[in-house]
Amino acid sequence: MATQLVNVFDKGAESVIIQGELLGKKIIVKYRVKKPYRHPKFDEIFRKTRTKTEAKILSELYMNKVNVPAPLIVDLKNSIIIMEHIEGQKLSDLIEYMDIEELKTTAYQLGLQTGIMHSLNIYHGDLTLANILVNKSNKKIYIIDFGLAGYSRDIEEYAIDIHLLRRSILALAPDKLDVFMEKFIKGYSESYHGNVHEVLQRVEEIRLRGRYVEERLKKKMLRDKYIE
Amino acid sequence: MYVDILGNVKDNIYILGIESTSHTFGIGVVEYNVREKSLKIIANEYDRYVPMKGGIHPREAALHHTRTAPQVLRKALERAGIKIKNINAIAVALGPGLGPCLRVGASLARFLASYYKLKLIPVNHAVAHIEIGKYLFNFKDPLIIYVSGGNTLIAIQKNKKYRILGETLDIPLGNLFDTFTREIGLSPPYVIDGKHQIDICAEWGKEFIPLPYTVKGSDLSFSGLLTAALIQAKEYKNNKEKLGNICLSLRETAFNMLVEVAERSLVLTGKKEVLLVGGVASNKYLREKLIAMTRVHGAKYAGTPPEYAGDNGAMIALTGFLSYIYNIHIEPEKAFIRQRWRLDEVELPWLPN
Repeated sequence: MATQLVNVFDKGAESVIIQGELLGKKIIVKYRVKKPYRHPKFDEIFRKTRTKTEAKILSELYMNKVNVPAPLIVDLKNSIIIMEHIEGQKLSDLIEYMDIEELKTTAYQLGLQTGIMHSLNIYHGDLTLANILVNKSNKKIYIIDFGLAGYSRDIEEYAIDIHLLRRSILALAPDKLDVFMEKFIKGYSESYHGNVHEVLQRVEEIRLRGRYVEERLKKKMLRDKYIE
Repeated sequence: MYVDILGNVKDNIYILGIESTSHTFGIGVVEYNVREKSLKIIANEYDRYVPMKGGIHPREAALHHTRTAPQVLRKALERAGIKIKNINAIAVALGPGLGPCLRVGASLARFLASYYKLKLIPVNHAVAHIEIGKYLFNFKDPLIIYVSGGNTLIAIQKNKKYRILGETLDIPLGNLFDTFTREIGLSPPYVIDGKHQIDICAEWGKEFIPLPYTVKGSDLSFSGLLTAALIQAKEYKNNKEKLGNICLSLRETAFNMLVEVAERSLVLTGKKEVLLVGGVASNKYLREKLIAMTRVHGAKYAGTPPEYAGDNGAMIALTGFLSYIYNIHIEPEKAFIRQRWRLDEVELPWLPN
């Protein structure tokens, strides 16, 4: 097994990503590193469980034709996953420079993919723009980094995925939020098997749950009337 | 720093800030010195309400504020060495916070502004916490970690607003520690000699026990952690060491969650500075964890010192000054309090990006 490691490709929040070659194919080695701020005992449980979930969910999604990197080798003891290398750029780096048509197709594609994922009772847990890769040549989008993913039939988890995506756009490109979400929901409704309306309603509920959200305070309307 | 906007100002500028959002009634004064072209905090007086039992009772806290307000105001002016007629504007924290408490500060501010014919400047309490941190360490564009009894969030500045990247979905971190120590009978008092009860209790423990760890993307949830810790604590009511283990693990788990989302946000945004603000910023264990985390990513770290970490009037005065030079003010009759006033709603013209 001729494995050739090329270079440190990216340093994520919890792992080091190394690019390499395996049997002539480009691969990615994802190594979950030890954290100096965590107690060693916690750290070990942590890295092990996250690696395990990620590998399990990646393979299930890959078999169901969701655009994710194919997992190739898993080493639980050292918290390493070796997976297929995906050509593409992070959506968080691209979104500011995308024209409106590009943005629309990307959002629609992402909606479709997310819908399929949720139909399999899988949630991502960290669906932000940095975890979405866009391949400019074949216009495909890929979802990556499933460390916080899991299985659930609770629509709450699906709604949180959409909520996180929404907030990540709001932080990075607030002016593109409306267009993006409109197309995302269009794609999502086409592929999600459950009740889309119910999920979207929950998304709104989660937003209102944030601290000091004034819309929650009905009295505000009364007060505004009084001022006028 | 503010020279280009203040080009033709001839006299020193004095802003008085009033803080009364929760347990603290505070008044601070800042001075902009024209000759030195510098901004200084020249007074920061406060009085804290400590409950006899239970948590903060809004009415009792408001009563405390009403009683101490004149004294705190007098002390602040004395410390600053100025008369009220020298002051250019009154800044007041109109929210977010507890209604009855906010009303005390707002009433005082409205009175001072209308009686002495001064400008009245509305200040968001959360913005003030961040601005004082940026001022103290001269940070321009940090990743902000704001942790207190009322807030737990991660934010960055973008398009003249603070944008929230992640926050708690239920209770804040400060509230988690306060509630836990209260329920197991240690608090009040919540803080002894600058040390929180949770840290004192954690010193009794040696062993780590697993507790629920809930991170959803960049959002956090502490309520499950609190319940689980309380259930375990009930079993070991009289066992000091076992109780210590729970405190130790509770603190470790909660901080790990926060540091993890902070780290993720740091990588996502690629910021070079990390700023910890809010009451919990004085906790040395959180500080240690964040220093270790930022070192890995080569970012600068700073946390507000205890004097300015908790609620105080100086931060309101400082934010008031920034608003003053951008001509933000309201009529006293329209200065309503806002119990719910989110950080990301406030438009801030002084932000560089």
